[in-house]
Amino acid sequence: MTLEPPVREALVARLTAMADDELILGHRDSEWTGHAPILEEDIALANIAQDEIGHALLWLEARRELDGSDPDALVFGRGAGDWRNVRLVELPKGDWAFTMVRQFLFDVFECELLSRLRHSRHVPLAEAAAKAAREEVFHLRHSGLWVRRLAGGTAESARRVGAAVDLAWPYLPQLLAPQPGDALLVEAGIVPSPAEVGAAAREHIATTFSELGVAPPDVPPNPGGRERHSEALVALLIDMQAVARADPAAEAW
Amino acid sequence: MTAHSDARGDTQWPRWEVFKQDTEGSPHRAVGSVHAADAEHALLMARSVYARRPAAVSLWVAPSESVYARTAEQLQEGTVVADAPATTEPARRYLAFRKTSHRRAMTFVDFAGEVSAAGPDAAVAAARRAFPEPPALAWWVVPAAAVTASPEAEAEAWFEPAKGKTYKQQAEYGTLAAGRRRKGQTR
Repeated sequence: MTLEPPVREALVARLTAMADDELILGHRDSEWTGHAPILEEDIALANIAQDEIGHALLWLEARRELDGSDPDALVFGRGAGDWRNVRLVELPKGDWAFTMVRQFLFDVFECELLSRLRHSRHVPLAEAAAKAAREEVFHLRHSGLWVRRLAGGTAESARRVGAAVDLAWPYLPQLLAPQPGDALLVEAGIVPSPAEVGAAAREHIATTFSELGVAPPDVPPNPGGRERHSEALVALLIDMQAVARADPAAEAW
Repeated sequence: MTAHSDARGDTQWPRWEVFKQDTEGSPHRAVGSVHAADAEHALLMARSVYARRPAAVSLWVAPSESVYARTAEQLQEGTVVADAPATTEPARRYLAFRKTSHRRAMTFVDFAGEVSAAGPDAAVAAARRAFPEPPALAWWVVPAAAVTASPEAEAEAWFEPAKGKTYKQQAEYGTLAAGRRRKGQTR
């Protein structure tokens, strides 16, 4: 499938945004390695972190096919201003409730996106989406289980879920919002309609929260596009890129 | 549980035994245990701990305390009653597992089949009668009602991704080769 230059440019931007969301979320999850509540959850969340980082690589490999860019150079060489992830995923990992609530919101969105993206007319994208989609079903099982158990657990666990939802909620609209080049990509049948994905995700989240008696706050969305980031991303990148920056010519780490 | 309790209460989650089926047609086999809050949680933990890489098509979990175990020695010495004792317990379904080999370091205890019995001792006796071969070094019986299986409808999400992931040795990352080259340079 030959893509017209404007469509290709839009797809490169979209793949970058998708990869950046997955990579930063995967990194935040990986920060629990060695610190999770019990050994089994430590292993489970490390698995999920690896899956998300693996999905980032799928999207960056798809981007490489389009513009020849090197995934490692993008991940380890870009400063915060060049990342295109949503701010939801860069927020510090917080407590277990926040980690699971954020993961749940992202997993719902990703399941709704991937189940449609696997029918993309851009074959490499459809194949990658099919691969990632089956892992995402399991992620949603895990994060959904925790949100349900914490919300219906003790007064303290319910309070923590409430606080986590309050913190994450203003950042959700950015995750569900259409991106600048999306209209072209939707028209070409390459990505599903962001409005449709967003509506399905909102309905899934609303149904779950209402079953659990979790009331999201009535607050305005956190403003700004994907080029705007918090200081939390800067600190994350200093940590994540330190080894690569220390010896950029290294053949192996 | 109470043995581990202290004044602050026991914060340890219950332990669950995990049984993994590698292929359709092979028996579920005990692979180890996980700590988890409930059966659904135990299944998710089992999948992450025991089926991330190796092939699997199904998982079962059962609370460790629901497993009733008897060795061949115990049965032979008559420290337990081999034949069904008089009991008022109603008959119920048990899953019977047996260990038949000392070959490997891991404690492989394979699913042998189902029996119906009134109480665990009767279940062991029924299993010995129903599944005489191969001889068992140990028997485990678990009430069928205590066993929870991974959802068949989600088998693809639970087990397919493992097939695309392989164990990677160190050499996969080029670290050893680069290390050797560096050594050569400094010599």
